[in-house]
Amino acid sequence: MSDLPGPGAMAPTFSLTTPAGAPVVFGDESTISTLLVFFKHDCATCDLTLPLVQRLQSALATAGLHVVGISQDGADDTASVVTRHSLTFTVALDDHLEVSADYGFDAVPALILTGPDRAILASFEGFTRTDLRNLTEAAATACGTKPPDLVHDADGLPEHRPGCGSKAHDPDVARRLAVRRGASTLGARRVQVPIDDDPFEFMSSQGLDDGLPVVPPTEARVLRMLEGTRRAASDIVAHIPPNLAPATVEKIAVNAVMAGCRPEYLPVVITATEAACTDEFNLHGVLATTYFVAPVIVVNGPIRRTIELNCGHNLFGQGFRANATIGRALQLVVRNIGGGKPGGVDMSTLGQPGKFTCCVGELEEVSCWEPLHVERGFAADTSAVTVFAGEAPRAIRDQLSRTAPSLGASMGMCLQTMAHPKLAHVGEALLVVCPEHLRIFERDGYTKADLRARIQEATARPLRELLPDADCQKGMALRAVPPALLGPDGRPTADGLDTPLSKFQQDSDILVMVAGGTAGKFSAFLGGWANGAAGSMAVTREVQT
Amino acid sequence: MTDPLVILDPTDERAAIGRRLATRPDQLQGTLGIVDIAKPRGDVFLDEIERLIRGRLPALDVIRLKKPTYTKPSPTSLRDEVGERCQAVIQALAD
Repeated sequence: MSDLPGPGAMAPTFSLTTPAGAPVVFGDESTISTLLVFFKHDCATCDLTLPLVQRLQSALATAGLHVVGISQDGADDTASVVTRHSLTFTVALDDHLEVSADYGFDAVPALILTGPDRAILASFEGFTRTDLRNLTEAAATACGTKPPDLVHDADGLPEHRPGCGSKAHDPDVARRLAVRRGASTLGARRVQVPIDDDPFEFMSSQGLDDGLPVVPPTEARVLRMLEGTRRAASDIVAHIPPNLAPATVEKIAVNAVMAGCRPEYLPVVITATEAACTDEFNLHGVLATTYFVAPVIVVNGPIRRTIELNCGHNLFGQGFRANATIGRALQLVVRNIGGGKPGGVDMSTLGQPGKFTCCVGELEEVSCWEPLHVERGFAADTSAVTVFAGEAPRAIRDQLSRTAPSLGASMGMCLQTMAHPKLAHVGEALLVVCPEHLRIFERDGYTKADLRARIQEATARPLRELLPDADCQKGMALRAVPPALLGPDGRPTADGLDTPLSKFQQDSDILVMVAGGTAGKFSAFLGGWANGAAGSMAVTREVQT
Repeated sequence: MTDPLVILDPTDERAAIGRRLATRPDQLQGTLGIVDIAKPRGDVFLDEIERLIRGRLPALDVIRLKKPTYTKPSPTSLRDEVGERCQAVIQALAD
């Protein structure tokens, strides 16, 4: 919608130059009346209007009307317009289109008539005879004379003709203008890269990257990134551990640019940040632990397709921009905003490759089961992000099972090794069921609940096999043993020693999703971290665009 | 000449706060807090520390405090309690 100011408003000041370099200043100098005419060279409505403006100038110049043409083109195109219409009034170049943007019109020609104090007397854009007549009368009144008869019958002019789009509204120009004018709401500190420095080397030297080069977050790129969300740039999304620094949408966008995200990924990055910064997920602990875990991001719902997130072949592998950059953006948010860096608060002994990035989607389309987010309370057509503190994926290789119970037992036997085979009740696991394995469960009518129950059954071991012994000093700590299996002396009872314990404290500790390529009987699991409220629990949040 | 590249600061823009260590007391007096961060077997180590201190400094008031979990920062209430009750603190990490 046009924001061209109307009668009574004050016309913005400007300082431009003519094609020859002479200054053209519109400020507080006293002229009886000034007419500003914005135009561009390839606009038919401008070609229709400019000769009429020239007639007005000829008629009222001696009475005090000062006409200034303002071209949206370069010097050569502007000169061709001046020649074509034999313009005698001053013409200035709006090189950067900043003045055009200040005046807020949508189309050229745009005419603005002012009085001596820059108060606007009349204005319009495009061409209409009525508007031109009214403006002419206002100009004549201001100059204390009679209005000239501008439009002649021989001209054959239409009653009206729409103008052509102002160049200030070209998408690239509008974005550049926002940057040049500082009109954006971006509040981040500007850092000037020394002119002789390679920007990638500079950012690395400042410790802003994750070991791989990052995309320099220029104002234009960050503004473009922010177009990916309707949230205000200044909104605080979360406080990022370890420093509990406030993360605004803008700061997250800056880091998303650095990670290589496209704007449409930004809502996922924001949601993942929100989810990770909950008390249940315990990002501080996930970061600070000497264990392996990293935030693993699982995306469900329609946004997977919008952003072309890989849910299929090579799920945890390379080659997919959304997967690669969303997880990376969250890690950069933690590093740069929260201050969590390896060797600092991040004291992981070995880490894992997913600490660079780990973001995957569920292959909902092939699944006979409810997707992960639906199980966790969200509508199927809702987009949601689940964050899970996970180790690297580990293989479940079973090309021989042809029944669901056999395959479920296979998965249980692999999950038994999570953290350590003698550890039970150690936390959550994320089980990724591949499509070929899913077909076996589907054929046998196995639900997710059936699969979880089978895993619990297959992993059940008598407590005595889980306790530290001479053969292996590692084992389940007594404090983790259910109190019902302990006697008054705090030691396991005879019955307690014979009582089987399953790997997971509760069935719901096994998160199940479907994903991966259509070929291959290879599923995977990602082990979790510490159990319950003292550790990290998976958190799901709806994606808000 | 090319314009210099301007980037936006991706950090929280808070200058690093240099934290100085608190002044170490010349001698222990008043109340000494022994804080267990709740790592397994940390209590074994701290029990021994407490036994040694009580034997050598019988006049010292020794109290035991414990974080709910080692995986999260101390709750404000615990930090406040340490600040209000203790003239010195021993906190230990163990595994």
